[in-house]
Amino acid sequence: MTTIHIPRIDPQSAMDRNRPVNALLKSQILHLHEAERRLPVRHHTDIYINAIKTEGEAGEYIRAVTEAIHDAHAEAAARRAKRAAKKPEVIDIAAVADDEPVGKPKSDGKGKKKS
Amino acid sequence: MPAGLDNLRHIVVLMMENRSFDHMLGSLTAVNPAIDGIAAGLSNPDTTGALVQPQPLAAFQGQLDPDPDHHFPAVDLQIFGGDTSPGRVANMQGFVKSYFNQQEDVGHSQKIMYYFAQNQLPVLTTLALEFAVFNRWFASIPGPTICNRAFAHYGTSFGQVAMNVFYEKEPYKSIYERMVAAGHTAKIYYYDTTSSTMEVVNLLQNEPQLFATYQQFLADCASGSLPDYSFVEPNYNDHDGDDGEEVANDQHPDHNIQAGEAFIASIYNAIKNSPLWPNTALLVVYDEHGGIYDHVAPPACIPDQFPAAASDTGTGMPFLFDRLGVRVPAILISPWVPKGTVVSGRTFEHASIPATVTKQFLGSYAQRTAREIAADTFVDLISLDVMRQDCPDFD
Repeated sequence: MTTIHIPRIDPQSAMDRNRPVNALLKSQILHLHEAERRLPVRHHTDIYINAIKTEGEAGEYIRAVTEAIHDAHAEAAARRAKRAAKKPEVIDIAAVADDEPVGKPKSDGKGKKKS
Repeated sequence: MPAGLDNLRHIVVLMMENRSFDHMLGSLTAVNPAIDGIAAGLSNPDTTGALVQPQPLAAFQGQLDPDPDHHFPAVDLQIFGGDTSPGRVANMQGFVKSYFNQQEDVGHSQKIMYYFAQNQLPVLTTLALEFAVFNRWFASIPGPTICNRAFAHYGTSFGQVAMNVFYEKEPYKSIYERMVAAGHTAKIYYYDTTSSTMEVVNLLQNEPQLFATYQQFLADCASGSLPDYSFVEPNYNDHDGDDGEEVANDQHPDHNIQAGEAFIASIYNAIKNSPLWPNTALLVVYDEHGGIYDHVAPPACIPDQFPAAASDTGTGMPFLFDRLGVRVPAILISPWVPKGTVVSGRTFEHASIPATVTKQFLGSYAQRTAREIAADTFVDLISLDVMRQDCPDFD
């Protein structure tokens, strides 16, 4: 079995937060901005995307919107779960209302006005 | 059915950024002549008319700056050498000319022909020699990242040849949505939230539960709980993470190539050291060539049903998606793949990814684009009946 050594890089020499954003990151920012516009206002960032020039700045915006999307969906899921938890009571009441009253004859529907 | 294929339960795709086949793996022709890389007689003219040959002088970082143009009009020049006549033939003679257009520096433009020596890329070249390397895996579009990655997710880019926002069109669903709807599991693992995903407006925005992080990928491997299908995205930017400095490892020019080597090795190690190794196939592939030289002319292909108008291509000509993009590195890794496999005589593109995952997990599935239906699939390469014990280790 062959063992290959993985290259070790020096993060200090490879890393450059001030590198200008490339076309791919610019595009990613625009896609995230499109998504941000659809978020509830309370999840909007206050970052002006036209002023993003470096990878470090791009990363801050990318992180903020990505987390906001996850947060907004988590909030919606929590609300949905809360509504679902309340639902059995409503079903019980509705079920009682739908029960036929004892002794009341079934309606044949005749004589009802259509609304 | 071979035992290897019978054991296949998980497919993982790692899609890196912007490097051509010849640039990354071209050196391997000297090791195995069946690999269609750099050979004698290849060249491109520079703007003085001098012929520039490929040379093993590629650098890990700092050489391809500015980022070589790989938008649709530039790739058209790279493939056709500037010929815009109706009967033109792809000749791969416009790479140096295209790079010259960015700085008008003849010497600098020649660097687009540089490739890596084998010993510079120990991870990628070892994987290519140890498992199955594809001689003909092409980008889906002669254009940039977003539309090419779309083919990996949807089997189409819905008419996009650029980086613009696009939306899914009925009835075509992403491979992840198809899998989940059929009761299977699928995930996109982005590196972290500061790098995030390139699949924002359709999937992240509407289906965030499909996403997890690289750290979760490592944990899912270790616990043997990978989804049926996983798509892994690298780190697209330099940033500070929770555990310190995170160097971009996507290999997009001008990001550090060795950081990408380490990332590829980490994905391989995570699978190989997990209980899922006998049941998992890993495809390492690049989204497009990034404007960097390759010598193989992209072939014609079945048109997609979403054409791009002349006003959208930037060339003054419409595009019917009837030609593939430039060739990229692609390697299929599994302990059931014969050592030293070179896949020749077949053509693959990124639509081969959803086509393969669909075939493996869903069987027949009608609502796919013509391009995806026509795309070749690759799990048949998992052909051994006895699992290999000689697969390499990376440390």
